[in-house]
Amino acid sequence: MRKQLSLAMAAAMALSLAACGGTNSSAPADTSSTSAETSTGEAGTDASGEAANWGDVTLTMWGAEEDQTMLREMADAFIAENADKGNITINIGACSEADTKDEVLKDPTAAADVYAFADDQLNELVAAGALQEVTLNADDVKSRNLEGSVEAASLDGKLYAYPMTADNGYFLYYDKSVISEEDAQTVDGILAAAAEAGRTFDMTLNDGWYIYSFFAGAGLEATLADDGVNTVCNWNEEPGADVAQAVMDIAANSAFVSAPDADIVSGIKSGTVCAAVSGTWNAKVAQETWGDNYAATKLPTYTLDGEQVQMGSFAGYKLVGVNPHSQNVGVAMMLADYITNEANQQKRFEDRQLGPSNINVNASEAVQAAPAIAALAAQSEFSDLQRVGANYWDPAASLGQILQSGDTQGKTTQQLVDDAVAGITAPVAQ
Amino acid sequence: MAEVTLSAPLRADGKEPNFLQRFGHGFVHGDIFTKLSFLVWGLGYIGHGQLIKAVLVTLVQGLGLYYLGVAGIPNLMKFGTLGTVQMEMVFNPATFKNEVNDYDNSFAILLLSIIALVVIVAMIAAAMAVVASNYNLQQIRKAGKKTNSFVQDVRVYLNEKFYVTLLTLPVLGVVIFTIVPLFILIAVAFTNYDQQHMPPNSLFTWVGLANFFTLFGGGQSLSLTFGYAFGKILIWTLVWAFFATFTNFFGGVFLAMFINDKKTKFPKLWRTLFVITIAVPQFVTLLLVRNFFGDNGIFNTMMSNLGVTDLLHNIGLLSPTMDYIPFLTSNGWAQVMIILINIWVGVPYQMLIATGVLMNIPADMLEAARIDGANPVQMFFRIKLPYLLSVQGPALVTDFVKNVNNFNVIYLLTQDVYVTADQSMAASSAKEVDLLVTWLFRLTQEQYNYKMAAVIGIMVFIICAVFTVVCFRFINKKEATFS
Repeated sequence: MRKQLSLAMAAAMALSLAACGGTNSSAPADTSSTSAETSTGEAGTDASGEAANWGDVTLTMWGAEEDQTMLREMADAFIAENADKGNITINIGACSEADTKDEVLKDPTAAADVYAFADDQLNELVAAGALQEVTLNADDVKSRNLEGSVEAASLDGKLYAYPMTADNGYFLYYDKSVISEEDAQTVDGILAAAAEAGRTFDMTLNDGWYIYSFFAGAGLEATLADDGVNTVCNWNEEPGADVAQAVMDIAANSAFVSAPDADIVSGIKSGTVCAAVSGTWNAKVAQETWGDNYAATKLPTYTLDGEQVQMGSFAGYKLVGVNPHSQNVGVAMMLADYITNEANQQKRFEDRQLGPSNINVNASEAVQAAPAIAALAAQSEFSDLQRVGANYWDPAASLGQILQSGDTQGKTTQQLVDDAVAGITAPVAQ
Repeated sequence: MAEVTLSAPLRADGKEPNFLQRFGHGFVHGDIFTKLSFLVWGLGYIGHGQLIKAVLVTLVQGLGLYYLGVAGIPNLMKFGTLGTVQMEMVFNPATFKNEVNDYDNSFAILLLSIIALVVIVAMIAAAMAVVASNYNLQQIRKAGKKTNSFVQDVRVYLNEKFYVTLLTLPVLGVVIFTIVPLFILIAVAFTNYDQQHMPPNSLFTWVGLANFFTLFGGGQSLSLTFGYAFGKILIWTLVWAFFATFTNFFGGVFLAMFINDKKTKFPKLWRTLFVITIAVPQFVTLLLVRNFFGDNGIFNTMMSNLGVTDLLHNIGLLSPTMDYIPFLTSNGWAQVMIILINIWVGVPYQMLIATGVLMNIPADMLEAARIDGANPVQMFFRIKLPYLLSVQGPALVTDFVKNVNNFNVIYLLTQDVYVTADQSMAASSAKEVDLLVTWLFRLTQEQYNYKMAAVIGIMVFIICAVFTVVCFRFINKKEATFS
């Protein structure tokens, strides 16, 4: 999730200064008047009117910068389809799905009516009351999307968002001319093949999102506590210390490079990288550079205490949520429903190669033939929903940083994981 | 308010009576109109024959009372608890809208209450001023003179008292944009305003000094490592501010001297080149530099091609497992690099200032020194540097404070790049290269921990205030001795 941001580092930084607020210049009205009006007055007057008569409705929708044109088309189609029910205006603003939470939580009452976000932000958005429970058409939404995506959009059995894509996880991609299909099954195999070719296998270790895969693979967990805010983590139990050692061994291999996203991209382009663990956002570069030799598959296994262990991962979905502070929650829900329906997920795949969460679209031949999506599907049985609290990220990244540098600061691997767990599980606030 | 002409001196020592004394005297000795004007401002002016003024002040008083009645007092009543009714929302399928209960918004309560308090204080002060001014009018009438007409009053404010007219807007601006937010910041430090207590959906309330205990290692939760992280970050903040200020100062001075030297060819060209770097937005420069110095960045490639990386391996500065120089990714390296990069970004400004100051040194002073046989080094340390310091002393102090809060350089160079290997720091989402402000920013931006951010904000304020006061005292003494 967070890594996507670093893909377009400079651009994202420039944008985050102007942030999402900048583009939706046309939404000054919804700031002030959410509560009082809606509570008493209108309920009485409108009760007799049909829900089918929407009147004048203005909605703001936030989506990724790259999706703007597509969203405009979807919005226009929605307006045309519902022209008989009301006079709808839809403004579209740009906001990276990875940053939506930050923008929305600044002031939920001023945020967009409909916004796309990455599924790991669901808890915090729900906790802040910034997500409307899906009350219209919920059963249909649940039945038409993949089970995992519905689970990602739900909390405590309530559906809070509309699944949009199912491709936000990470997997392995490699250059077939260097690494055989068999080599790609194990980290050892990849490293040996890469070393032989004088190239490297890249992955970001000093990031909580990726370092998770080694510990999850060993059967350890890091997940959200029952309070929905703090994190439960048992990485310091057996075999956590050995996992840490295994990661250090991998990091010490000369064919392995722990690099941030941007460096992986430049490494693939310059030809030094022959295999990488990353997500769909970099797959395109790999595909263009390696051409026919491009292959993608589930994550490999790694050696833990002499045995092969399958690496786990965070599964990632992108969702569309509705702001409960919207003055037109109903129409906003209809819009969110519309832009994530089967036809529009098909459009998403065709226009932007985004992996659909819709069951029918996902099962289509074209989608199944896309290597990245097939790889994610293969990885899905080893992946978990990303449900961790705010205190997970920094201690986990710090642990990754230590393991990648190999400098344990005089601590044993057990002490390292102990300290990491202490930080991860520390209560977020009183 | 016309001049004060009191019949009897108010103070035995003959000094001008202060505001309170004038009010007290006026209130006690005033006639019925003067006394009433404390409650209804306009009455006094009506009684003393200034009708337009009466209407205007009553209007202002009315506005103040209106605010207090509509928003101020109702919110002040909840100020003690910051609200008790949680928001509840129900979707009504018939209207397609959400129905919301009449909930309390803690932040709105805090904000409107603080504004109400400011309004109340301002209105009491204004009422006292009105009484004093009415007593004044009463005295003028008693002496048989005519009081000013409205037009005359306006003329006074455009002439003798023009400064009052000029200052009104800035003062209002300071109150609205600085003082009120400052009060709110201070108030938030005593609440539990964080991710679990975010209005409008949940309420937050007062927690007393708990957040300050947390900061200094007591309390729960963030506790131990929070105090540890705060200490480490504070030290680095001060070290950074010191080096950033003085490297830029001396860098700029030397650069200015080199460029201004008679032997330098094309001084204008060089000066322009350095000034151009100012024209490029700082964040563009910094992001580019961050990429240059990345672990696999262009600079590392150059170093490795030149054999510098191997050299560092051999002399033991770099651990053998690292095949790159961790310019911005490792503790120690990153700090030095940040200070160096800051020199590059900041020196042009200082160069411009130093050029101006150096040109102001009386030429005869330098000429005399040269005739006396002083060499350039002596001239620098005996004449130029003391002169620069005496002129730029206050600016240096401001620079130091600015550097304590230098968000741009630190954040843009290290965000998304630097990952701490100190697990105790990580447990408080801090990094060794963080300044108090960048830490504060990440605490609020990423964790919505507004209460701790407010506490750190107060700490930064105290540090800067103490430093400034001490420095200015020192400078004032120095200045006296220099000139």
